[in-house]
This record gives sequence, C-alpha cells and structure tokens, in this order.
Amino acid sequence: MQSVVELKTWPSTESLPSARVFVAVVLLCTIAAAAFASWLPLQVSIVTLFLFAGPHNWFELRYFLMRLPVRFGRSRNFFLTAFVGLGVLTLGYISLPFVYKTTPWTEEAWSTVIATWNTALLVWLGLLVWLRSKQKSRSNWAWLMPLGLVLCSLNWLGPDFFSLAIVYIHPLIALWFLDRHLRRTRPAWSRAYRRCLCLLPLLLAGMIWQLSQTSSLADDNGLFWRITQHSGAEILPQVSSHMLVSVHLFLEILHYAVWMIALPLIGSKAIARIWDVKTVPVAKHPKGFPRLITGILVVAVAVVGVLWFGFSIDYATTRDVYFTVAIAHVLAEAPFLLRMI
Amino acid sequence: MKALLFACCVVLFSTVPANADLRPPTKPANQNASKPAQEPKYILHTGLEIATDPKAYEAKLQIPQSQLEHFRAALDSGPGNPPVVGGIALSSTRTIIAGLLMFLAVSIAGILIARSSSFGRTQKAVAALVLVAVMIGAAAIITRGNAGPPGSYRWRNLPQALAKGESTFGGVDIEVVPDEQLSGRMRLVIPLKKQNSSGEE
Repeated sequence: MQSVVELKTWPSTESLPSARVFVAVVLLCTIAAAAFASWLPLQVSIVTLFLFAGPHNWFELRYFLMRLPVRFGRSRNFFLTAFVGLGVLTLGYISLPFVYKTTPWTEEAWSTVIATWNTALLVWLGLLVWLRSKQKSRSNWAWLMPLGLVLCSLNWLGPDFFSLAIVYIHPLIALWFLDRHLRRTRPAWSRAYRRCLCLLPLLLAGMIWQLSQTSSLADDNGLFWRITQHSGAEILPQVSSHMLVSVHLFLEILHYAVWMIALPLIGSKAIARIWDVKTVPVAKHPKGFPRLITGILVVAVAVVGVLWFGFSIDYATTRDVYFTVAIAHVLAEAPFLLRMI
Repeated sequence: MKALLFACCVVLFSTVPANADLRPPTKPANQNASKPAQEPKYILHTGLEIATDPKAYEAKLQIPQSQLEHFRAALDSGPGNPPVVGGIALSSTRTIIAGLLMFLAVSIAGILIARSSSFGRTQKAVAALVLVAVMIGAAAIITRGNAGPPGSYRWRNLPQALAKGESTFGGVDIEVVPDEQLSGRMRLVIPLKKQNSSGEE
C-alpha cells in the first residue's frame, strides 16, 4: 500500500519545484508589467509596441501554423468559414478608414456602419461556434446563441463601447490560449496558472483604484493623442486617460509575454525550436507544404523588419497602419481557440 | 422568496444606469419661422443644490472639479452629443434593432431553459424569474424609461425651503444658450408652478 502512495505522489513531487518556478515567474512578470504600465504609460507603450508588436504577430502566426492540420477532413467547412470570414472581415475593417475619408456620412451613420461590422463579426463567430459544436456532440453549446444575441444587442446600443471592449478583451484571449495549452502539455502547471489568474482582477482593481483619480495624460502631440484615443479616452471622457492607457498597456504586455515567451517555451522542445520549420506539422508531414510554410514564415520575418523600419521613420503613421491591419491576428485567434476547446 | 429578492436586486441594479427622468427632446418654439432660432445645446444631466447662506456677501455658483471636467469634455465633443451618455443608443433605428435582438435572446434563452432536462421545476421557475428581471432591466436601459416622479417634484418645496433657510436638492439639465438669448447672464430655470393663496398649485 505504501508503495502505491509513493508511486502516486512521485510525479507531483518532481513537478513541484518547476511549478513553483513557473508561478514565481508569472507573478513577477505580471506585477512588473502592472508597475511599469502604471508608472510611465505613454513611454512604455511606445517602446513596447515598437519592440514586440511585429515579433508577437510572427510568433502567433507560427503557433497557428503549428495547429493547422495537413488535411482539413471533417473540419473542412470550419476552416473554410474561418478563412473566408477572416478575409472578408479584415478587408471590411481596413476599408473603413478609406470610406471615412471619402464619404460625408454623419456620426450616426458611422455608428451604424461600425455596429454592422461588429454584427458581422459576431455572426461569423456564431457560425464557427455552431460548426465546432457539431464536431463535439457531447458538449452543449446551445446557450451561446442567446449570449451572442445579447452581445449583438449591446453592440447596437453602443457600437463604440463594443469596439472598445474588443480592444480590452483581445489581450486576455492570449491567457485563454495559455490555459488550454497548459492543460494539454503541463497539467500540473495548469492548476497553479489558474490560481495565478485570480491575481489579475485584483491587480486590475488596484490599478483602477490608484489611477482613477489621477489627472488625464497630456495628449498634446499626435502620437500621445493616438495612444489615449486607442485606449478609449474619447469614448470615456469622464475617466482618467492615465488609467485607461495603463490598464490597456498592462493587458497588452501580458498578451505579448504569453505569445513570445510562455507559449514557445512551455511545451515540447520541438515547439521551442522556433527557427526549425520541420517542427511545424504541416511542413514536416510527407504530404505537407514545407516550401509554402517556409515562404510564409520568411515573408512574416520581412514584415516584422518593415514594421520596425516604419516605426523608426514615422512612428505615429506606422502605429495607425499596424492597428488597422492587426485586426487580422485578432480575428485569427477565434477559430484556433475554438479548435482547442 | 430568495429568488424574488434576487430578481428585485437585478432590476434595481440594472436600472441605476438607465438615467431615468431624462428630459424629453426639446422642440424648437418657432418651427414655422423663416429663420430658425439657434437652439440651446444640451450638455448633461446632473444634480443641483440650492442653499442659502446668511453670511455670504455675493451669490456663488460652486462646481465640483469632476463636473467641470465633464462640462469641458461635453463641450469638446460634437454638437448635441453629450459624451457621458453619447455612446448609448440615441438613434431610434439602433434602439429598435437592439430591442429586437434582446427580445430574441431572451426568447431563445427561455426556450432553452424550458426544454432543458438538467433543470428542475423550481430551478426553471427561478431562471424564468431572473430572465424576466434581466429583460425589464435591459429594457429600462435601452428605452431610458422615465421611471420615478418627474424632476419638478423635488423642487416643489423650494420657496418654503428658501424662506426657512434650508437647502433643496434636485436634478438639473446643463444647457449652453446663445448669448443673445440671455444677454450675457446665467439663468437658473426651476420647474415650479404658480401657487394660489391656499398653497395649492
């Protein structure tokens, strides 16, 4: 009997120190991110975006390629819907600034346009959920339908608030990816990670409490104005822009940390060899596409270089372009996250 | 009983942001005039306390710092778009669409609960009660239901309170009016009806 107990406790005692290290690193990174984001929000935002915006997109692309099956098989409709929706929604989003400059529409008409795009996004997500639920007969996802309709309704009540909510919720999706990833690769760490996540609302509440009374940030130049507007300073004028920028920046730093550090390093050694194209199943498989995958990743590296060059030449314009085009990676997360649930 | 209390709480808390008693949209007085007069610009709805101070030498208008920030933000925004509530639907089309979608959501959720075998009869009743409460709360927010007594109710005893040296608190709409309408002065309009000698309105 004693030997059985020893056998059962053996794996957990071995994994205990590594889980502790993991928790310590997570806590340290989270608290440091919150401190820097609260202390110098504008400066840290500029540096963070310059350094990590491009690379984190590359890491995300690689992660999605890793999770792409060689043959879609039963998931053909799911991936077809995902890619068509991704393309149409991204093109629609990118065209909005051009339409805005060329048409003399009223503010109300623009609210309707934004609400329509948001509705299209929700319909696309609903379709993906429905297709995914057909593959998971044991799960009951029917309750997501009224939830989606409620979200649609709220979107039509305040399209600007809904869009702002996407800006704040998107970084948190990375934490969900990490959770699913840990459950598959390191179940022992998963429990510790979920306990660490409890700290997040406390930190956010602390930041909001500390920064809500601070005076708004000086947005007297174009770049600072863009940063505060992106965080919702125009939509929420009664809230300190210092608080808004800090909270958003904190979430963004966590987002970058998950995609660039946590997901590549946690898991198998093959995943950690980011330079090796053969670690990507679609490239490694005999019926795979090694050249195509290599080409995509090389082009993505070039885009990261172009982005750095752009930030060096004209930071403000490159920032605008980046956040418009980056909607593609926001959308791409949805189907791959659904595949992991 | 607990379910009833919970439902009441949901309704009460959800109607807090409903901004009840918002004033109805003002219509221009001279619609048939050849040149329409410039309308006052509605900024926001806030609270006002009228108090007397026998030691004061001059009448004072005291504005909290945070309220001043609201005024500035409201003035900086586009005309007729008070930013504090500006994002929430002020358009009838969007309100109708939002209402329809909310109706669909509640209906489908109700059907799902009713058809679900994992809920007992009591749980279904509680869920239905909560659903109805949420729907009423959401409807109050969407339609900005004019709940409660009219704004003038709080000001009804202002003359007596002023005579006694007591303060009176009520709601107030902040409006920016063209200069020619007020000759450079500020004006406080109190919704009081004329009272006869017996004190009846």
